[in-house]
Amino acid sequence: MTDTSVADTDRLSGNKDMIVCEGVNKWFGDFQALKGVTATIKEQEVVVVLGPSGSGKSTWIRCINRLEAHQGGTIIVDGVELSNDLRNIEKIRSEVGMVFQQFNLFPHLTVRDNVTLAPIWVRKRPRAEAEQLAMDLLERVGIPEQADKYPGQLSGGQQQRVAIARSLAMEPRVMLFDEPTSALDPEMIKEVLDVMKDLARGGMTMMVVTHEMGFAREVADRIIFMESGEIVESGTPEHFFTNPTEERTKLFLSQIL
Amino acid sequence: MTTEGEGTLAGMQPKRVPLYRDATVVKWVTQVIALLLVLGALFFLVEEAGANLKAKSIPNDFDFLGINPGFNISEGIDKDPNTGGRALWVGMVNTLRLAMSGIVFATLLGLAIGIARLSDNWIVNRLASIYIETIRNIPILVQIFIIAVLLGSAGRLVGDTGPINGWFMVSSKGLAVPRIFPSDGFYQWLVVLAIGTLLARAVRKRRVTHQDLTGAISYPNLWFGAVLLLVAVVGWFVHPVFGFLNNLFNEIGDAWGSIPQSGAKLVLAAGAVTASLLWIRRFLNSKRSPAGLAKLTDDDMFRMIFAVIGGLLVAFVVTIGWPGLSSWIINSGQDFWHFLGDKFGDGRTGNPVDAMRPTIVGEGTLLNYGSQGLVMSPGFAAMFIGLTLYTASFVAEIVRGGILAVPKGQSEAAAAIGLNRAQALRHVILPQAVRVSLPPLGNQYLNITKNTSLGIAIGFADVVNVGGTVLNQSGKALPVIAIWMLFFLCCSLTISVVVNWFNVRTRIVER
Amino acid sequence: MTDHITIDQTPALPPEKPRLTAGSWVRQNLFSSVRSGILTVIFGVFSFFAFKVLVNTMFENPDRDWLAVKTNLRLYAAFAYPITQFVRVWVALGLVLALLGLSLGIWRSASAVAARTIASRLIASGLTVLAGTLLVGPPVLRDEAGEPVYDETFEALRGTWRSGLEQRTGWFLLAFALVAAGVALWFGLGSRRNTLTVPTTLVVWIASGVVIGSTWVVRYGHYGLDPEGVPVGDPDSLVAMSTRMPWTVMWLLVAVAYQLGRFVSRWNSSRLLITAAWFLAPFIAFWVILRDPAIDYGHVWSTDLPMFLGFGVLGGLLLFLLADPKIGELGRFIAFLLVVVAALTFVSGFYGWFSMLQKARISFCLLALFALMANNFAGDRQTRLRFAGAWVLLIGIAHYFITLMNSPSTLELRADSFLGGFLFTMFAALFGLMFSFPLGVLLALARTSTLPIFRLLATWFIEFVRGVPFITVLFFFDIMLPLFLPAGMEAPDMAATVLGLVLFSSAYLAENVRGGLQSVRRGQYEAADAIGLTGAQRTSLIVLPQALRVSIPPLVGQAITTYKETSLFAIIGVFDFLRVANYVVPNQSTPVNFIGHKLEGLIFVSFVYWLGSITMSKYSQNLESKMGVGER
Ligand SMILES: Nc1ncnc2c1ncn2[C@@H]1O[C@H](COP(=O)(O)OP(=O)(O)OP(=O)(O)O)[C@@H](O)[C@H]1O
Ligand SMILES: [Mg+2]
Repeated sequence: MTDTSVADTDRLSGNKDMIVCEGVNKWFGDFQALKGVTATIKEQEVVVVLGPSGSGKSTWIRCINRLEAHQGGTIIVDGVELSNDLRNIEKIRSEVGMVFQQFNLFPHLTVRDNVTLAPIWVRKRPRAEAEQLAMDLLERVGIPEQADKYPGQLSGGQQQRVAIARSLAMEPRVMLFDEPTSALDPEMIKEVLDVMKDLARGGMTMMVVTHEMGFAREVADRIIFMESGEIVESGTPEHFFTNPTEERTKLFLSQIL
Repeated sequence: MTTEGEGTLAGMQPKRVPLYRDATVVKWVTQVIALLLVLGALFFLVEEAGANLKAKSIPNDFDFLGINPGFNISEGIDKDPNTGGRALWVGMVNTLRLAMSGIVFATLLGLAIGIARLSDNWIVNRLASIYIETIRNIPILVQIFIIAVLLGSAGRLVGDTGPINGWFMVSSKGLAVPRIFPSDGFYQWLVVLAIGTLLARAVRKRRVTHQDLTGAISYPNLWFGAVLLLVAVVGWFVHPVFGFLNNLFNEIGDAWGSIPQSGAKLVLAAGAVTASLLWIRRFLNSKRSPAGLAKLTDDDMFRMIFAVIGGLLVAFVVTIGWPGLSSWIINSGQDFWHFLGDKFGDGRTGNPVDAMRPTIVGEGTLLNYGSQGLVMSPGFAAMFIGLTLYTASFVAEIVRGGILAVPKGQSEAAAAIGLNRAQALRHVILPQAVRVSLPPLGNQYLNITKNTSLGIAIGFADVVNVGGTVLNQSGKALPVIAIWMLFFLCCSLTISVVVNWFNVRTRIVER
Repeated sequence: MTDHITIDQTPALPPEKPRLTAGSWVRQNLFSSVRSGILTVIFGVFSFFAFKVLVNTMFENPDRDWLAVKTNLRLYAAFAYPITQFVRVWVALGLVLALLGLSLGIWRSASAVAARTIASRLIASGLTVLAGTLLVGPPVLRDEAGEPVYDETFEALRGTWRSGLEQRTGWFLLAFALVAAGVALWFGLGSRRNTLTVPTTLVVWIASGVVIGSTWVVRYGHYGLDPEGVPVGDPDSLVAMSTRMPWTVMWLLVAVAYQLGRFVSRWNSSRLLITAAWFLAPFIAFWVILRDPAIDYGHVWSTDLPMFLGFGVLGGLLLFLLADPKIGELGRFIAFLLVVVAALTFVSGFYGWFSMLQKARISFCLLALFALMANNFAGDRQTRLRFAGAWVLLIGIAHYFITLMNSPSTLELRADSFLGGFLFTMFAALFGLMFSFPLGVLLALARTSTLPIFRLLATWFIEFVRGVPFITVLFFFDIMLPLFLPAGMEAPDMAATVLGLVLFSSAYLAENVRGGLQSVRRGQYEAADAIGLTGAQRTSLIVLPQALRVSIPPLVGQAITTYKETSLFAIIGVFDFLRVANYVVPNQSTPVNFIGHKLEGLIFVSFVYWLGSITMSKYSQNLESKMGVGER
């Protein structure tokens, strides 16, 4: 484990800690997928997580909104500790939005209903208000005209943008992205990345697992490199792409660049 | 029950969560409450039923199993049983007889119709589809009634001619076909056959090796069949040489019978406990990891607890709860060996297998079948025909579905690597079709077994019918119903196990 | 939110096949090879003789007397239901048919039949009728009492072939009409017959219209027993007015309801309303229309209404409070308390600590259930009001029906149970399916749940029920149920049979639903969790709608099985549809003598069962191909 300290960009210096992970461990049977992951992510920070396949990137961010339960260490999101406490789980689920590689839109609901689901049933908003919010968000991701279609009728890029709108509809404080562009055709990747860049500029705290190096370079405040369940290296994009300290990082970079 | 959050490497203890908010606690408390509600409801129902039964002075015990039932059974291995238990046993045997013949014939007929359904001949195809669409949309009970009526109205003998006179007869007294039965030297001949099989397998193995080594086609299966046939024919005449087994089996039986009862109990109980402990050890081993056992889920704990309880329960039952069990095992083991012993020696030189044609006794309207042939009573015949026809329509659909489920690309691929049509069917299509069809086929076998219970509607002496008579005479409803259900559960379980076994096998064959 | 099931509405027509000439069709389908030719000959001869035996067994056979069915149609329909009150049966049937029409109109089926197929089917059935008429033997001679006349070898005497052909002009006419209609359609449409399609619903409606309409013209004969029980047998008159009039009305009713359904289908809530109506209709038909309860209004004012108000208002208020998003753990605690109270009301009842109306017990259970669900329906004022309103509505309906059930019937009955015959079978099947569906879904959810005890209980229940024959379950309830009913209360056969059916088919339904549940991908669960839905919301909003949609075809299959399974009621001595044919009619000696005439009734019963289940299975095949489930 090496340096996991916050990149001290001016932009974030005064911000409070949004996600704090302390020695997070996770086993699948007798296979240890996370080995004492420790990291702190500031409010409004954009962190890109890189690493070879099977290194535990997905597992880590899935632990952060408790799609997987971690088995050791602490995870604190926005001051709330993730534990067996039902109240905290509920709270964190509605504070943390997540976007999946496979979109996971609800195929039996229209786009509009997909987006209004959380405001109505989780945030307990009146329907009219929720629909207004949904339209605003669809506007923001650039597909207001598709509101009454079913997910199956949309292209992959459009589906992923709906998924982002669906997560944003909860008004989360943190957004997690697990390879949001990996299932997309190249021409659709840009439209999704544009939406994510917008979000980042709007000051959303984001944790992104991606293989889009351009995105990482341009948007990330910090890049975390993982391998076999450990954080190997962490630092600003310039540091990471120009003079990484660790051998493993160099190897990884030489393979993908 | 908390299995999470323990053993934190970073050394920090998670803060205590109030119990009512702890996910694990809530999860388990909810389940325990649900369990209690279900158990409570059951308890109250049983309590209430017991009280009401007592109020109506309906006894609720199993005494009837041991006393004379006071009725005769129309067909079966014992038409005049001397205890209620024996009567039910006769019914069970009848049920099994019906179920097994139904399964065999429904499979054959269903196979034929399912293939006919895929035929490119219009008439054959149409006939098969009319058959399926008609039969499977009419309740089986109605069909059984119709068949029973039709059989009943076949007053005179029909079909008593044919290739061999008397090979098949129909009348209102039922169906009759020749009876093939094991006779004098059957068991001795079985021993010859067993040896023959070993021999034939050895020969087959050699042929296979030969083929592998030289590449010459050496027909291993043909050789296998030929050797077996040869041994069977020779054995038909020489089987008396195995008469000496008589003594051997009797000796074993005596030895078995002299096992002390307490010893048997101890062995059984120890076996049960060891089995459960071994299971747990294997289970834990499969979960063992460098980080110890802290990661067992609630589910795993639950399984282990049940394994322990199960083992102890069995141990308790065999030692204290049911002392009769061990002596039963000793006695029946002894009986079994002596029974085997009786089948050997003693100047048994006759044919191993014999056959007899049915005969007719009586005249005019009093005509009846003699005891020679294999006579199916009208009830059995109606049930058998009804179940076979009905289930065959489902089997046919399963067969068709199974064959259609094999993608077209498979037969094309088979053709591409140069297999001919028969080889493609044998090595490519059928193995896959069988794999798809087996589970639903197993379900149909289960259905046949359960549908035998309709025998009560037309007076076939199956277990439900016999139980119904017992119930009417003794009024002991709950015990009888419990016996019915237990019996059918055992049948279902057996069939599932067998089907599963085949299932696993075909899956391995496929790989 | 659209919680109905949307199915792609594109008509699924097979791709155009090249049409063959008659000669090449025969060559390709019957004589494509020597083997095929041999098969054609063998099975052609076989079908000829099989058909001949079939028609001769059914008609012009000295043992057959179809009067046994014709005279007793009322027994088959409703067994001992008082003839003076028979209009109730029609009203009940009308209710069900009207709902059917509405549903058909709302969920318009895209299935259609090609005109070519209709024409060829008409011609084929005409030719079949013709062949049957020609193959039946000469008429059996009968004496005045209708009994066949036998010679000394016990062979029935028969007339000449000629006389038979002369007597069967009606059949020849029918065959001619069918063929003529088919030929007219075929040539009338010209080449359009290959492209023109007619909705299946319309075809069925027109066909039944022709049959029903013909009763006003054709002298089918008038048979039956008049209200005094005197047999009526008039072969030369029209069908009785009391039969043809209601059927005509029913037929028109379906058409009107269908149009109405098309009209209201534009409103989204119509689907929800009609589904609710389907759940209420059997209750109304059974307890209000058929049973005609004598409600004790004094008791209603003094007890029933206050009780309803109490539960409705207080319960509504409580639920309104519980649905406050800010209530938090307190809500859970109150819900938990209510569960305990509900359990206690039953416990106390069993031990006779204090007597409480069954109604109150059931109400407490429902209230506890609602309270448990409350946090899922929390929201703004309007949402909460709607939640409380739903409670008032539900408890109102529940109380209303419990009152109806507790009121005696005004009917004067001649048998133990006021329902019998096909009505019994139909209602048992309807109730059985209605109740077993929710139970089956719950069992499936429990069996796939992550909570081991729930899973274990559900698995045991399902495997147990699936392992034993239905008849043993029926016997169990037939014997056990009277033990639990309070003394003096009649033990309706219906309760035992329906309870057995519910338990039995719920286990099988659960397996079908489980298949559907397993087809919902993990990602759907994760997405639902990630946007913060609770477990109940995830299940009801995300998982079940998808799972049920996939399991529709197997569920229809299970409905067919349940429908066929109702025939087993005959064994436990209920006077259901089958038992009328198998037991009642064959034992009828006065005022009409049909002793021993079983086969006619059994054939009739098979036909009715067959018609119902083939309709459902065609429907499910249609659905399956539309959803692409059965396609490879
Ligand atoms: N549910 C599970 N059960 C068992 N092992 C799992 C499970 N989920 C993940 N793993 C294992 O944990 C390790 C980390 O998986 P993870 O999905 O986090 O990798 P990743 O870094 O996201 O890889 P990728 O880039 O391919 O998505 C892998 O070795 C994987 O096999
Ligand atoms: Mg991943």
